[in-house]
Amino acid sequence: MSVKHALLALLDEEPMYGYQLRAAFEERTAETWPLNIGQVYTTLSRLERDGLVEGGDTDDDGHQIYKLTDAGRAELTDWFGSAVPRTQPPRDELAIKVALAVSAPGLDPTAVIQRQRSATMSALQGYNRLKRQTTDLAYELVLDSLAFAAEAEIRWLDHCDARLRRVADHPDGAR
Amino acid sequence: MRRHLLGWRIALRLARRDLLKHRARAIIALVMVTLPVLAVVTADILIQTADVSPTEGISRRLGAVATAEVQIFEGRQRVTQGPDPLRDWVAGDELSRATTFADVEGVIGHRSKLAAPTSSELVVRTPHGREAVAAEQADVTAPLARGFYRLDGGRWPAASDEVVVNQAMRDRGVGDTLTIVDRDGTESSRTIVGTIVDATRRSGEVVVGLPGTLPRLTDDGMGQGWLVDGPPLTWSQVQRLNDLGVLVTDRHIASHPDDYPDSMDDGSGDSTTLQVAALIVVMALIEVVLLAGPAFAVGARKQQRSLALLVASGGTPAQARRVILAGGLLLGVAAAVIGVAGGIGAAWLLQPVVQRFNASWLGPFDVPWPHLVAVAAFGLASAVIACVVPAWIASRQNVVAVLAGRRGDAKPTRAFPVLGVVLFGIGVLMAIAGASGRGDLMVAWSAVVCVLGMVLLVPVVVSWVARAAGRFPLPVRFAARDAVRHRTRTTPAVAAVAATVAGVVALGISTSSDEKQNRESYTPNLVMGDASVTPDYGYLDPRPDRPTDWDQVADVVREHAPAARVSPVVGVGQTSTTSWVNVVFADPARTAEDEQISPSSSSSALGTDVVVSDGAQLPSLVASYFSADEGVAETLSAGRAVVLTSDASQTRLDQVAIHVETSDDDGPTVSTPAVTVPATVLYRPDDDVAPLRAILPPSVARRAGVPAATVALDVAQPHLTTEAQKDLQAALQDLPTPAGVYVERGYQADAYTRIVQWVLAALGAILMLGGTLTAMFLALSDARPDLATLAAVGAAPRTRRRVAAAYTFVVSFVGAVLGMLVGFVPGLAVTWPLTAEGYSGSDHVGPYIEIPWLMIAVVVLGLPLLTAVVVGLFTRSRLPMVARVG
Amino acid sequence: MNAPETRPVLELAQVTRIHGAGGLAVHALREVSFETYAGELVAVMGPSGSGKSTLLTLAGGLDQPTSGRVLVEGTDLTAVGSAERAKLRRTSIGYVFQDFNLIPALTAGENVSLPLELDGVPTRAARAAASTALGELGIADLADRFPDEMSGGQQQRVAIARAVVGDRRLILADEPTGALDSVTGEDILRLLRARCDAGAAGVLVTHEPRHAAWADRVVFLRDGAVVDEAGEPMAAVRS
Repeated sequence: MSVKHALLALLDEEPMYGYQLRAAFEERTAETWPLNIGQVYTTLSRLERDGLVEGGDTDDDGHQIYKLTDAGRAELTDWFGSAVPRTQPPRDELAIKVALAVSAPGLDPTAVIQRQRSATMSALQGYNRLKRQTTDLAYELVLDSLAFAAEAEIRWLDHCDARLRRVADHPDGAR
Repeated sequence: MRRHLLGWRIALRLARRDLLKHRARAIIALVMVTLPVLAVVTADILIQTADVSPTEGISRRLGAVATAEVQIFEGRQRVTQGPDPLRDWVAGDELSRATTFADVEGVIGHRSKLAAPTSSELVVRTPHGREAVAAEQADVTAPLARGFYRLDGGRWPAASDEVVVNQAMRDRGVGDTLTIVDRDGTESSRTIVGTIVDATRRSGEVVVGLPGTLPRLTDDGMGQGWLVDGPPLTWSQVQRLNDLGVLVTDRHIASHPDDYPDSMDDGSGDSTTLQVAALIVVMALIEVVLLAGPAFAVGARKQQRSLALLVASGGTPAQARRVILAGGLLLGVAAAVIGVAGGIGAAWLLQPVVQRFNASWLGPFDVPWPHLVAVAAFGLASAVIACVVPAWIASRQNVVAVLAGRRGDAKPTRAFPVLGVVLFGIGVLMAIAGASGRGDLMVAWSAVVCVLGMVLLVPVVVSWVARAAGRFPLPVRFAARDAVRHRTRTTPAVAAVAATVAGVVALGISTSSDEKQNRESYTPNLVMGDASVTPDYGYLDPRPDRPTDWDQVADVVREHAPAARVSPVVGVGQTSTTSWVNVVFADPARTAEDEQISPSSSSSALGTDVVVSDGAQLPSLVASYFSADEGVAETLSAGRAVVLTSDASQTRLDQVAIHVETSDDDGPTVSTPAVTVPATVLYRPDDDVAPLRAILPPSVARRAGVPAATVALDVAQPHLTTEAQKDLQAALQDLPTPAGVYVERGYQADAYTRIVQWVLAALGAILMLGGTLTAMFLALSDARPDLATLAAVGAAPRTRRRVAAAYTFVVSFVGAVLGMLVGFVPGLAVTWPLTAEGYSGSDHVGPYIEIPWLMIAVVVLGLPLLTAVVVGLFTRSRLPMVARVG
Repeated sequence: MNAPETRPVLELAQVTRIHGAGGLAVHALREVSFETYAGELVAVMGPSGSGKSTLLTLAGGLDQPTSGRVLVEGTDLTAVGSAERAKLRRTSIGYVFQDFNLIPALTAGENVSLPLELDGVPTRAARAAASTALGELGIADLADRFPDEMSGGQQQRVAIARAVVGDRRLILADEPTGALDSVTGEDILRLLRARCDAGAAGVLVTHEPRHAAWADRVVFLRDGAVVDEAGEPMAAVRS
């Protein structure tokens, strides 16, 4: 998650000061990723140092308003133009848990998987409930992202389930 | 009720849209039902047109004006008649006095009358000699005679030496003067003043003269008829006239026979006629249903998803069934309308063609609406019946399976093949019963039962073929497996072919066996190709009182047939016209009347049944009749008589007693004393038709007082065409002592039979092709996704052709083999009694069974192969490149 | 939401369905009990062969259970004849399938009015009801189109209209989004959801978790038996 590029994108729409930036960010992402105001200012000063933004005027309340420089705009264009790098799998804990459950003695891995599936499904239902309550496209897309991720998780759980069953039916390890 | 109608409305809407959407398939089904309707309508109209109905015929018999014809029966008897005396009348009690026309007027009142045209034979001289033609005599210009003849050139005859003739008479080369030969041989001439068209005859020669101006060589013995005008006669007048011995042909009564009591109609034959009609309808129905079946089956299969959705939306199986039936209903109505309209049009167009081949004039164009309604109903019924099985299957399908995208056919019932075997067995039993005397109808119905049984067995046979197809090349395997998978489409197609082949085979067996019987039981009068000339006086009376001048006759024959070898036949001649000479052979020891020595039957194409010859120059027929080891020539040259007998015990005789009886109408008058002569008696079985009874050496004939003379000319191999024979006959008739010629042309297959056979063969081939090609077309369109898969895995484009050809072959071959087996049953059954009729007590005759193997081979192997090859050549070879779904 | 009802629209009680017999017998469903109330959308999930589709065909009376009872608005489908079950499909139950949902020979309007016409409703009234149903789904303008003149999503909308026309309260949807792209599929699910919110009871068989998540309740089937549920059962909410 690149806070740096998110701030650049928001500043591209209009010059803002720190608190404004945090509010806009959380509005767009449905508060999915809470943002510390300290992190906003740290990032802004780093961006100013790199010449991507510049602190301009202060408003009536004395807030420092930041705006995008040409270099910042170029950086933003680069960011939108490139794919998000695939780094670590995001749900390490679940994968490790299932992996451990498969080999743990006296434990039914299917039950673990089903419990997780119900939970994820509940979360998915929650996302859909939220979707029914909003008409904001950006918010919906973020919810969709979460929903697709949850769906992928359920599919992966289904896949684990099927593999486990295959192994149970053919203990020789037939694939 | 309203609910019911609503259900049909949806069904009709669905069916109509489906047909419009799948036009090709709809057209196939439509054609299969329409063509028979069209053909039957065309044929019916042409037959009705050619067939002169009472109403139309009456104008030919009464002309355009007369109310009625009254005919005082010469027999001076009361008569009883039906509405039309031409159809039936009988004579009754004798009348005390002859009826006069005044008596007739006493019943019908005074009316204008005209002698009705009389018809008789007439001998005329043509450039070829003397010929017999038809003659009519009538007051042709009288108002009442209007409508009998149409003047086509020249004028009507006005004097007793004037006649008019038709074109056929002119074509015999008579010029403007017609020479007429009277009964006594005197000739008189008439001037031909015009050409007419006769109301009835088209191709025969006709001469028309004023009443009493032409000799009447023949007389029907009915007496003069009179045409009268005035109001129509009543039935009671007709009956009163009948009591006076007068036959009445009333225009109104005769043309409305159903409105009047017909005392003559005994109603017999009605149930048979009805059964035959029912049989024909049932068979045609089966055939049409089977032909149209595949298209409907495919249609129903294509609609199975729609029907499943219908059921899922709350439709009942009955409502689903109705959708398919509605398709049949719509196509049936369309087929009926198109077929009837097209049939009327086709008949109209074909009318002149039919006229060309018809000797009589056709009647007016006649559209028999009641028939057409029946034929239309037949078309509708066949389309609906063709839908019944697909509809039933569709309503039984597994909705869940279909909705899941699988085939939802209900399991085929095991009971059907069993029922098929049972039906087939019943059919065979019926055929056997029919063959052993229950009648032809029984056999015909057995054919229907056999075919129905076979239809039920087709799926089993097809699945055997598919199982056996594992070893065949891909296209055949593909075709056979596809045939099994699409049973509902394959079964009717195979069954249609089978039913057709069964009919062709059955009729083929019966006609060729019948033909064989005719051929083998035909007794030639002469050696094939030979001719004989015997005295023939025609209408000449009195006959010339001198014996035939054989030299003169021989000259005429040589003139017409220069290549022929002409030799006289000497035998017992008949020298008088009033008495009859008979040579009697008997056992010298017993001379009783019933101890005569004679074969059971003999012909006398040689002009005699007792030939006189020394054995040196036997007529070829006689020579070929005896086998060499009978040594006839040697016997005769040794001075012994040769006598035939049907009594084997008489062959022991070494000599026979001969006497000559002369008889006249009152019985034997003169009998010569019996003379015993040396003789060889030869045995002939009962069914043998001998060309003579005995041959006498001249010495024996003289000794026995047998009057020997030349009785005929034996003309060996004259090579006469029928036309040349007609000319020779005319020339021989023209001699002072006229003679007639007979040419042995061997067994002549009846032209009608041959035409029937050809028509049957053509019809069979068309039906087979129709059944096979529709099934093939439907199979190919069904197989598109499979062919696309084949293409995807690299099949060559010609694979499509090969699959098409293989499918065609599988359907038509399996059908043909099944049909052949089924056809044998009624074929043999009907042939057995038909050809078993021989002379009673003989065991050499019948049943004649001839199986036309060549024809069967052509139908069973040849046609399927030919069709397959043609299909292979003409199928588009491009493989479909479509995806499996979509 | 309609007045609360205590009687479920669909109730499966101890339903077992065995296909075939003997050694080849397949237990499609094992003693499944299951309820759906008006206003509720229930999703059924499970791997292929788990009995999802069997459950739907039993609920619609297209198939009969080997044992157990299936009640639709109080009528026991196992106790009535096939004619009565067909009538229920015309008046109470609506089906939506994965694809080829519509009869190709009928227009959208005719497809929607089909259950009514099959039930003997006069054409005019049936058409009026159909156009109302199409209007509610926002596709009134498609009434005269034939299925092959419509997109997949439009076809599914028409199918939903057909499933609800004539005030039917049980919608059985078998993979209704299977042949659609994700956005169109979601539209269809929203529509189904809306129909249920308007008072219908829906059963949705799907293998897409995202779509199942539109349901109030997700029932997981495995080997013909219910193994788990996610979401609050309506009955629990009510009690």
